[in-house]
Amino acid sequence: MNDEKLKAMWSKTENLIGSSGYDSSNIERFLSGRSHSTGQYVRKMIYMDLVMKSLVIIALVVDSILYAGTSKVVSACAGGVVLLAGLMYFQLKMLKRFSEIADLGQTTRDKLVSMLTYLKTRFTSTLISMSITYLFVFVSGSLAYFFAVYGKVRTLDWIDIVVFLTFILIGLGFNFFTFRAQIRYHVKHLEACLSDLNDNNMLVVSELIEQQRKQDRINKLLLMLILAFGFTLFAILLKKFGM
Amino acid sequence: MQRPSKKEFSQLIEKHQAIIHKVTLVYTNGPADREDLFQEICLQLWKAYPNFRAEAKLTTWMYRVALNTAISTVRKNRNRPGFESLGAYDLATDENPEEAEQVKLLYSAISKLNSIDKAIILLWLEGKSYDEIASIMGTSKDNVSVKLVRIKRKLEELVNDSEKELS
Repeated sequence: MNDEKLKAMWSKTENLIGSSGYDSSNIERFLSGRSHSTGQYVRKMIYMDLVMKSLVIIALVVDSILYAGTSKVVSACAGGVVLLAGLMYFQLKMLKRFSEIADLGQTTRDKLVSMLTYLKTRFTSTLISMSITYLFVFVSGSLAYFFAVYGKVRTLDWIDIVVFLTFILIGLGFNFFTFRAQIRYHVKHLEACLSDLNDNNMLVVSELIEQQRKQDRINKLLLMLILAFGFTLFAILLKKFGM
Repeated sequence: MQRPSKKEFSQLIEKHQAIIHKVTLVYTNGPADREDLFQEICLQLWKAYPNFRAEAKLTTWMYRVALNTAISTVRKNRNRPGFESLGAYDLATDENPEEAEQVKLLYSAISKLNSIDKAIILLWLEGKSYDEIASIMGTSKDNVSVKLVRIKRKLEELVNDSEKELS
């Protein structure tokens, strides 16, 4: 089949397919619709977590009001609020960066490369930051629960501590791996498209990812410090009130 | 670029909607999917418009956004049947059954290509030069040339196979 024959077949498309053209009023309606793109999906995940973090901050503020006479709890809540505010700032920065790379007006290659590099590097930090939310949900929820049931932070024994820590670790791990599994699917698709575009693309992406990972080491380190600080805070709370 | 009103932008898309229709035809399996993708592309064009630089041709930019959207959306349809379900398309078979059959064969063959090959062949069939295709896809002219030879060969095989099956 020669080129002319292919193009001739294609040119018949417009005559044969009754593609009902949309008028501008229909198109205007589409502009207000909801997006189902990967970019929107990632943004939605980050937004949802920001909302959750905001709610936890409110819960911690309420906890500190409830425990106004207990300076240790108030200090712990204040520490939690500061950490969460830091994480929210970090996530907002990531969101801004993501909006830049999610621009669909780039060439297909640039779009695929930037999205893949982001998802394979910086998004991991974002995932860690999102997973940490669970720790604070647990702490703020436990404090509210203790106040509602006992009117104070009740004494905890070793079994309580083991159970609480187990729940927290399961929650953190579950959040992290669930988010990562959802993204892995998108990553595989992006990799396949890049390989289809040009065999050398994946090599370029690998180099970019390696460079990005080096740059992101400080971010990851900071996140790990926050995570460690959060756990220490929780451990101190347990120790002060439990043992 | 300053964002126009939704009404002005809708009129702009209405004028160039053939581009979006062609992309949706190649990347979807039926009218419902086609409309969904059309909506998604319109929405993404609207969102991306503030980043549009006037030095690029509007139609080139529209192809970029439409194809990038289709490539990232088609993933969700990967387990759905291919273009075998062409009956769902309102092909005017009564008017010219032979032509309709040829178009069906071509679409059936294109539907079996991967997302990137679909984009390249679509742009070529639309009469874009190798330079334009390279600029939209972000690859080299040589790569486009090599890929097109492979894609056309593959399409020919697929169309021939389908013709044999039908006869």
